[in-house]
Amino acid sequence: MNLLLTLAFALLLMQPQSQDGDVPKGYQGTFAITNARIETVTNGVIENGTLVIRGDRIEAVGADVTIPPGAEVIDAAGMTVYPGLIDSGTQLGLAEIGAVHETNDFREVGDLNPELEALSAVNPNSVLIPVTRVSGVTTVVTEPSGGLFPGVAALINLVGYTPEQMHAGGVRMMTLEFPASGRRGFFDRRSDEDLKKAAEKALKKLNDVWDRAVLYARIDSAYHAAPDPDHKPEYIPEMHALLPVVRGEMPLMIKVQREKDIRAALDWVQERGLTNVVFSGVAEGWRVADKIAEAGIPCLVGPVLSTPTRAYDRYDKAYANAGLMRQAGVTVALRSGESENVRNLPFNAGFAAAYGMGREEALRAVTIAPAEIFGIADDYGSLEPGKKANLFIADGDPFETATHIRQVFIDGFKIPMTNRQIELYREFLHRDEGRLTPVKVVPPSN
Amino acid sequence: MKKQAFLALTFALAFTLTAAAQPKVGDVLIKNGAVLTVTHGTLENTDILVRDGKIARIGQGLRAPDGVEVVDATGMYVMPGIIDAHSHIALSAVNEATNPVTAEVTMEDVTNPYHIGIYRALAGGVTTSHTMHGSANVIGGQNETIKHRWGFTNPDDLRFEGAPRTIKFALGENPTRVHGKRGASGGKAKVPATRMGVEAVLREAFADGQRYMEAWDRYEAEKKRNSRAVPPPYDLRLETIADILRGDVLVHCHSYRADEILMLMRVLKDFGVDKVTFQHANEAFKVAPELAAFGAYASVFSDWWSYKFEVYYSTAYNAAILTRNGVVTSVNSDSGELDRHLYHEAAKSQRYGGLTDDEALALITINPALQLGIADRVGSIEVGKDADLAVFDGHPLSVYAVPQMTFVDGVRYFDRQRDPDDVRLFVDPEASLDDGAMISNDEHLHELEAVGDWLFHLK
Amino acid sequence: MFLPATRPAPAALLVVIAAALALTPLRAHAQTDDLPTVTRTYALEHARIVQAPGRVIERGTVVLRNGLITAVGADVAIPFDAERIAADSMVVYAGFIDGLSHAGIPKPKEDPNRKRPDDPGNPPDDYAGIQPQRDARAMLEPGDKSVKELRKAGFGAAHTVPHGRMLPGSGAVVLLSGDDPGAMVLRGDASLFAQFEAAPGVYPATPMGMMAKMRRLYREAERRRMIERMYEENPTGLERPPHDAVHEAFFPVLEGRKPVFFFVESALEAYRALRLQKDLGFPLALGGLEQSFDLIDALKDARAPLFFTLGLPKAPKKKAEAKKDSVEAEMAAQYDPSIRTATYRDLEAERRNLEARQRMSREKYLKNAAMLHEAGLRFGFSTMDVKPADVHKNLRLMIEHGLPEDAALAALTTDAADLLGLSAMLGSVDEGKIANLVVTTKPYFDKDAKIKYVFVDGVKYEYEVKEKKKAKAGGEAANPVGVWSYVISTPMGAFDGTLTLEGAPDDLRGTLTSSRNPGATELRNLTFDGNELSFTFEIPDGPGTLTFTVVITGDEMEGSVNVPGMGEAPVTGTRESGPDRL
Repeated sequence: MNLLLTLAFALLLMQPQSQDGDVPKGYQGTFAITNARIETVTNGVIENGTLVIRGDRIEAVGADVTIPPGAEVIDAAGMTVYPGLIDSGTQLGLAEIGAVHETNDFREVGDLNPELEALSAVNPNSVLIPVTRVSGVTTVVTEPSGGLFPGVAALINLVGYTPEQMHAGGVRMMTLEFPASGRRGFFDRRSDEDLKKAAEKALKKLNDVWDRAVLYARIDSAYHAAPDPDHKPEYIPEMHALLPVVRGEMPLMIKVQREKDIRAALDWVQERGLTNVVFSGVAEGWRVADKIAEAGIPCLVGPVLSTPTRAYDRYDKAYANAGLMRQAGVTVALRSGESENVRNLPFNAGFAAAYGMGREEALRAVTIAPAEIFGIADDYGSLEPGKKANLFIADGDPFETATHIRQVFIDGFKIPMTNRQIELYREFLHRDEGRLTPVKVVPPSN
Repeated sequence: MKKQAFLALTFALAFTLTAAAQPKVGDVLIKNGAVLTVTHGTLENTDILVRDGKIARIGQGLRAPDGVEVVDATGMYVMPGIIDAHSHIALSAVNEATNPVTAEVTMEDVTNPYHIGIYRALAGGVTTSHTMHGSANVIGGQNETIKHRWGFTNPDDLRFEGAPRTIKFALGENPTRVHGKRGASGGKAKVPATRMGVEAVLREAFADGQRYMEAWDRYEAEKKRNSRAVPPPYDLRLETIADILRGDVLVHCHSYRADEILMLMRVLKDFGVDKVTFQHANEAFKVAPELAAFGAYASVFSDWWSYKFEVYYSTAYNAAILTRNGVVTSVNSDSGELDRHLYHEAAKSQRYGGLTDDEALALITINPALQLGIADRVGSIEVGKDADLAVFDGHPLSVYAVPQMTFVDGVRYFDRQRDPDDVRLFVDPEASLDDGAMISNDEHLHELEAVGDWLFHLK
Repeated sequence: MFLPATRPAPAALLVVIAAALALTPLRAHAQTDDLPTVTRTYALEHARIVQAPGRVIERGTVVLRNGLITAVGADVAIPFDAERIAADSMVVYAGFIDGLSHAGIPKPKEDPNRKRPDDPGNPPDDYAGIQPQRDARAMLEPGDKSVKELRKAGFGAAHTVPHGRMLPGSGAVVLLSGDDPGAMVLRGDASLFAQFEAAPGVYPATPMGMMAKMRRLYREAERRRMIERMYEENPTGLERPPHDAVHEAFFPVLEGRKPVFFFVESALEAYRALRLQKDLGFPLALGGLEQSFDLIDALKDARAPLFFTLGLPKAPKKKAEAKKDSVEAEMAAQYDPSIRTATYRDLEAERRNLEARQRMSREKYLKNAAMLHEAGLRFGFSTMDVKPADVHKNLRLMIEHGLPEDAALAALTTDAADLLGLSAMLGSVDEGKIANLVVTTKPYFDKDAKIKYVFVDGVKYEYEVKEKKKAKAGGEAANPVGVWSYVISTPMGAFDGTLTLEGAPDDLRGTLTSSRNPGATELRNLTFDGNELSFTFEIPDGPGTLTFTVVITGDEMEGSVNVPGMGEAPVTGTRESGPDRL
């Protein structure tokens, strides 16, 4: 089996590319994926079906679908089609090389930056993007971080030449780093007292900001109800950016990890009667799962592949967290928290599945669940006619490492199944092939 | 007042007095598992008999001698205990980042048997870790090879007896950043600030080591003739470098770029050192033929890249290219998170380049064993080898496989069904209970060694 | 044994000391006033004299003269010039010995303007904390508050070491008295003090760096000593060996004349010190050792003098919310490794398990000294990083957790003296020894024993003994009579029942029942003193006599029950009925 896979994959890599100097490039069109096992996620599994893509949409899905004339037919016998995977928390497009600050755009100076837009800084040409999408991850939340209000996160499809082309479903979420009461790690040597003070101070700041935003919104509404050009209210960019959040029009994505902080965030949300809220991270969510479920706040959970938060936690708690929350009735989507290795989202889902979540729920947590949370389930998250053509063909379970993703479609684009990592592989597997002069292996001493 | 109640009280107060002595080697019969020997293929429905911590017999229908516990592994997979060739768990400190050469320090002095990471690694089937000095210095400290004997508190009890000495070298961005770009700990910048400087530091250190060795050899010879011979100054740093030159210490070199990998091979060749493992070696794939010709080993990440500039031109196909070019390659963790699922890391390396199951498993078993010089003891399931074994409920290269039991020298140190949640060996008697909670908000703390000096001073 | 080879013959030494003392003017004053001291001869009469553990004179006299104990016995002549002290009902012990501290050495201030070295890989030795050539004797300040505090806690002598980092200098044994630094010194150059205290940001900055540095220093010192010897024998034709104070400071260690005295806090630090000793072979002494419960076997192998810390972990503070549901919580407050924190529903069980584990951990510290003793290890004590005012309380905790009183006393006196190589001068109340004594109002290890006098080097220090606070004067004394419910919390769970007290506050009788058993047990030795109630009761075939001590506030009681050899368990109670119930 393994050998077969290897062979199949090698063949895939050896598919003739275009002319010399050409770069493989995605394209839209009419495609018919035939003889496929289709895991729709929302409407069960079609064992031997056809899926038709036209433009950016899925036109038809079913066992009995007519192949449109002129369609590019992809025979997917022995393969399965899945909806594109959605990663609910990354820095893709905002981060290129970790330690090279000049290539990173996710952290602005200061604590209060709600007016910043992640979408504006997404680099469509990031080398990280092709490396990611060949894994079947088609869509990601890319988020700013740090401080209190680091900016507005955006959902992007991993195809396109401009941020606008990439923006998925118009999803934008105001990011709030909820004040953390705990130590940031073993290197954090602040005293208990200092920690407490710092947390109180940060929470007070958050409340002050919020109260002002509420006041700003009230004045803004009053002004627009009866404009008085002589008394035009101050324009404050930070407050202005918070308007849709205060009014419940834009989701507030609260990043929160510790049990204590989650409880505080729940109180904070409830005190203000906020309804358009999601939690992100939620490492200790299982400890408060009943309360989160009761509050009806959906959670973007992860990374799953992380260490337990407490020394006395059972060793597998981070793997089990998402499943435990799901079992308690929390709406859960998964996030890798990654940038260059968002390609590991399927394995985060696989570990969550293996440690209690179950494969089906894990698959939902990277497809339809985030689509529902982001309010774009009409367009994303499953294989249904009329939805966006974000999908991929795999020769097995996409959470298994042995499975190869054969073809990815994003926004209807047939994605070239290559990237720099694959190109390097092809160049260097047999590096000196084609060389006529003798190979000098160990370089001489200088 | 009934005496029974108070006897219970008495007992309760007494029972915390001493922990029972742990055995260091065990006997066990693991029945009917699928045995992934790594070196001799997969043996279905096979038993492994362990006596005194060694694999005594492998076969079908083995009977347990009197008093030997039987573990039923029907439907399970048994693989050699996983070996992590690059780890920083179980250490009280990582980097003596004050000087470009600190060959004299050794991690065996700072082994920390209380570190919870040991148990967590066991829970991922890892039985041996190569606990390394950090990468702040061109020649860092000597490393330690430990077995995960969780529960022993004497650092000596964790040592992999008989494992060869190894030493950490580091090339590229880390040493040049720590010493050259601004100077360690706020001192003045000094060589190396460039990869050229790294080579110069190496050559000078080796040359000094050579002269030191010669001086002592001369003294030892002269002492026989002249009772008033004066010994040369004693220098543990140069003494250690001399030991490298003598071939007594294996070099494990943190490296990324192809050029620096070639550079070190040149230097080692000039000084007659022939045992080297390139650690991380993200660009090793570019010089795979040279590595193979030198006989150098590579110990790589499955897929880490782009966390710094020197790993931008990486590929997850590294392990496959190296393997196909005949370089003995391992996949390591360098992380207390990754080391809990090295089997999954190996599976990813298999994914990227189509290695066979045995090739993939070799990346975390026999190959790291070769690199650490312990392949005669561990790394495969063979009669006579140490009974370091990991039992999984599915094939370990499947994402759904969950490690069930881990044995070191035949002693079961991890059992998913039996172990308590809280396995800490030390509980702070004073800390508030909340202090157990510790979350890193920084999801991008990749590569322990890359993230700044403060991180190195772990307690 | 600390320094068996070089210990001077006792008699000869005594002569030297006596001679020295005879020439010394009446320099010291009692701490309470500045009036002149009339005589340096004292007679403590009618006292119970504990000469050494197990060696007791029930009613006798101790005579001190010129800084020495000149007579001890049931019937000794009292010199004419003696100040007679009626020590009826008091107990006399040898002055306590502190095996490792900074007594009399003030902590130097860090120089804020100290320049960081340009090359952190090669810092000057003093910056790196490598100063073994420094000498505690040169740093002594008799007026330092540490001297007063230790003395008040009963200590007459201390092995004191310089402040610093890795190698701060050599230690000295000093007497905690007087105002002349030189006269304090009983033995100089007594140890090479070492600790795992790295200098910030310079080599060696880590434990492994310090270990390597020690090895290098030691081996190089060996080489230099060898060369120096050769040169001393015959310099002709040899290069002159360079003088080097740091390496030379190791010479006495190499010659076995003084030990490397390591202060080790954690088990890991202790292992590291033992490892260095194994590698290099120097004579080793260890102080601190607060986690020695984890390294008993290694300590047995090491055969090094041990000076165990007198510090203990504080009892964890209870959270306010935890108190509310304490009865239910404590009922199940035993550690159960089979309890899994599977979901959010299990957090309460998790908290109880964590608290139970923490209590178990603290118990280990409290039993530590007992474990050392049971393992046959002889040890003294150290007050390094310990508040002297906590010493008595902590010793009692150690005793409650199984350390025999005699062993505790030996560690304070005879064993400490022996391990420091000072038994000829210190450690027991015997003729000819230095006049270091502790005089207590009750046997020292009793809960309310107070130190009345400390004699150091023949100088008397008198302490005011405060009477225990009675109930508010004029206010109504509490009356404990009534029926109480109680809960005893133990690592195995809570035990509850009823306590019935009858009679009057000064004439109490009562019974105790357990909810697990209907039978009632008679209470004995009932006392009620202001607001403190105590009594004992027997568990037949059980651990023996249990002592119950609680403080009553209104209708609440809180305290502990002591189980012999096992320790104390907290107890709380509430009055359910009774004449004084509020």
